[in-house]
Amino acid sequence: MLLRPGADDLRLIGYYLGKVLLGLGLLMLIPAVVAAFQSEWNDLSAFVIGASLCGIVGAVTEARLASRRPLTWAHGMVTVALAWLIGSLFAAIPMYLSGRYSDLLGALFEGMSGLTTTGLSVIHDLDHTAISMDLYRHLLHFAGGQGIIIVVLSLFAAGGGRIGTLYVSEARDERILPNFIRTSRFIYRVAATYLVVGTAAMTVALLTAGFTPGRAFYHGINLFLAAFDTGGFAPMQSSVTYYHSFAVEAVMMVLMVAGAISFGLHFQLWRGDPRQVLRHLETRTLAISTTALFGVICFGLVRSGTYDDVGPLIRKGLFTLVSAVSSAGAQVNVDETYGTDWGVLAPAAIVVAMAIGGMASSTAGGIKALRIGIAAKALIHDVRRLLQPESALVLTTYHVGKRQILRDETARAATTVLLLFVVNYLVGALIGLAYGGYDITQTLFESVSAASNIGLSIGVTAPEMPKGLMSVYIVQMWLGRLEFVAVFALLGYLVSLARGRAST
Amino acid sequence: VSAEDPRFPRVPRRQARQAPPRRRQRTRRLLFVLVLGLATILVGTEALLRAKPVIAPEGLQVDVPPLALAEARACTRRADEPAVDEIQASFLPGGRVSSTQIYACPAAFDGLRITYVGEVIGEVIPRRGGAWVQVNDDEYALEVGPIGPHLDQRGFNTGLSVWLPDGLHERIEGVGRHGRRGDVVLLQGPLLRADPADGGGTTLRADRLEVLAPTVEVAEPLHRLQALVAAIMAVLAAAGLIWARRARQR
Repeated sequence: MLLRPGADDLRLIGYYLGKVLLGLGLLMLIPAVVAAFQSEWNDLSAFVIGASLCGIVGAVTEARLASRRPLTWAHGMVTVALAWLIGSLFAAIPMYLSGRYSDLLGALFEGMSGLTTTGLSVIHDLDHTAISMDLYRHLLHFAGGQGIIIVVLSLFAAGGGRIGTLYVSEARDERILPNFIRTSRFIYRVAATYLVVGTAAMTVALLTAGFTPGRAFYHGINLFLAAFDTGGFAPMQSSVTYYHSFAVEAVMMVLMVAGAISFGLHFQLWRGDPRQVLRHLETRTLAISTTALFGVICFGLVRSGTYDDVGPLIRKGLFTLVSAVSSAGAQVNVDETYGTDWGVLAPAAIVVAMAIGGMASSTAGGIKALRIGIAAKALIHDVRRLLQPESALVLTTYHVGKRQILRDETARAATTVLLLFVVNYLVGALIGLAYGGYDITQTLFESVSAASNIGLSIGVTAPEMPKGLMSVYIVQMWLGRLEFVAVFALLGYLVSLARGRAST
Repeated sequence: VSAEDPRFPRVPRRQARQAPPRRRQRTRRLLFVLVLGLATILVGTEALLRAKPVIAPEGLQVDVPPLALAEARACTRRADEPAVDEIQASFLPGGRVSSTQIYACPAAFDGLRITYVGEVIGEVIPRRGGAWVQVNDDEYALEVGPIGPHLDQRGFNTGLSVWLPDGLHERIEGVGRHGRRGDVVLLQGPLLRADPADGGGTTLRADRLEVLAPTVEVAEPLHRLQALVAAIMAVLAAAGLIWARRARQR
């Protein structure tokens, strides 16, 4: 029986949505300050409008909708699903006011892509964009990479138990410290440490590459935000190709890998226990899959004769693979050349790498190495059980934090989400094909990139792309970031709102 | 529980499906306010953008030599050899090509001498023996100028990586950035599809550079209405947050 949510339920959801918008409004103040220093007055007023709107909505919800009711799982799921949607919409307002997007849908696409750390972009004339607007796009990666709910938990929340549902609903099931708020603050401490160290390393790499100190810092901070948060935006349209520097690419690869590592493993490293990293199921899964895929990419590039020398082959192949598997989406090739100059096999391996993605509870997207590892273990378990006598007890274990026995429900949950991701990829690819202007390589590449929150593009995503396909990619990015459950809960909530029976 | 139990009177099915009218009204009102608020924000944003003052771009169009090929013909490496041959047969070495044509079929231009025209963007990145520059040949570079003073949207930026040896890059006086269209240059040299000196990137190794148009500052006019709206909304937001804080304390 469906129970119709009442006004009190909506108030509670609205109250927490208001907190998310307050966090987003604070974020907009950072580029506003930069705009003031750079005399970018129209961008300054756009950020002030965006931040004020967030502030007004946040204030109204705080004053009128505050509630002491505890959050149920349904409230948590619906709040998180709506937070990413409404957050993207409000994030899009300053962008749209810049006049660089075809319409509000384009700005919403950019907002969703920024927050979900996808990095696909539909901005017109990026290379002449204001410094503050560029920084804002990258800051969205930073806020979304750690999780916008985590921003709220870190800044505003009290009473961790009540709001733990929000944390888990945001596709994070790893509680590193005893309570959610401390866990959230730990995640931001890790991110802040990397922000300082990573930006410094990137700036030094750019200085050695010939950039002036001011420009090196500007590019350095943006590239850090895009790499560590496994986003995909870049200050220049030509992405990492622009820098012509192996040092820049090397620092980016380190940051992308750091971003794709789960915060649980960061915690172990923080505590000085690197053995956990080596024993972890996800580390092993990624090591095996990445090595195999690198072999396939090299073979594909050799067979297609794309590069005459080994050096460029390894440099381009490895960077693109790390960019795909970490879900960062930084490019060292022009979009179209994946289709016109890389043959068929190498782009196919990149699609598989994008589908796998990074580690669970990291800033990365994709199916996640944890689920791939568990699904593989479950398959091996079934084969072993078939080969043993019926009376034999077959146990399969895996190491995630500690040694754990593989249970049926764990395997089922992993394979269900894996299947949902595959369906998401295929639906996006088929809808792309239905438009008639693209082939299956293009639509599958772009669909996997959007649904796994990667950001690599083969040229389908563009300001002039069909609006329907743009909407499909927005939904795919949203579904992929929240790993389906919260979005399904929202749909169920809407159905019960329309058709459910009133609770007494 | 039996149907006759007096503690649990039978409630007609229709009645049970209905919430108390006041509760339903509150729910509907809340949803209505939410939808109305969002619609107002979106309409207001659209209205503000439409009210933005723009300047018709003048003097930014650059006279450039015509393209040697009429269109960008796509090919897939090792799968479309006839297409590559046809492009090479119809292309006179030294002719002007666009970056879109090059990326559509890089194999067709590999090693050929080309002419390329575009705006130097971002920065000149000095290295030993020369400098790297990104040269965009999109419509913002050659026709309408940067977005900001105008809202004539023409899609993504497109361009090519260019290596300029010492003696050439010093002639560049300005690069394109926010509010500025950089030097528009005509370049000639061999195109390398996978340049080993650039880690396999597609580059133009220029040996001739001519500045066709100097750097132009294109200031964005102040959007006074947007500034006024921002000021009013900032005051409202500050007042709202103070009010909310007091309401919570009560």
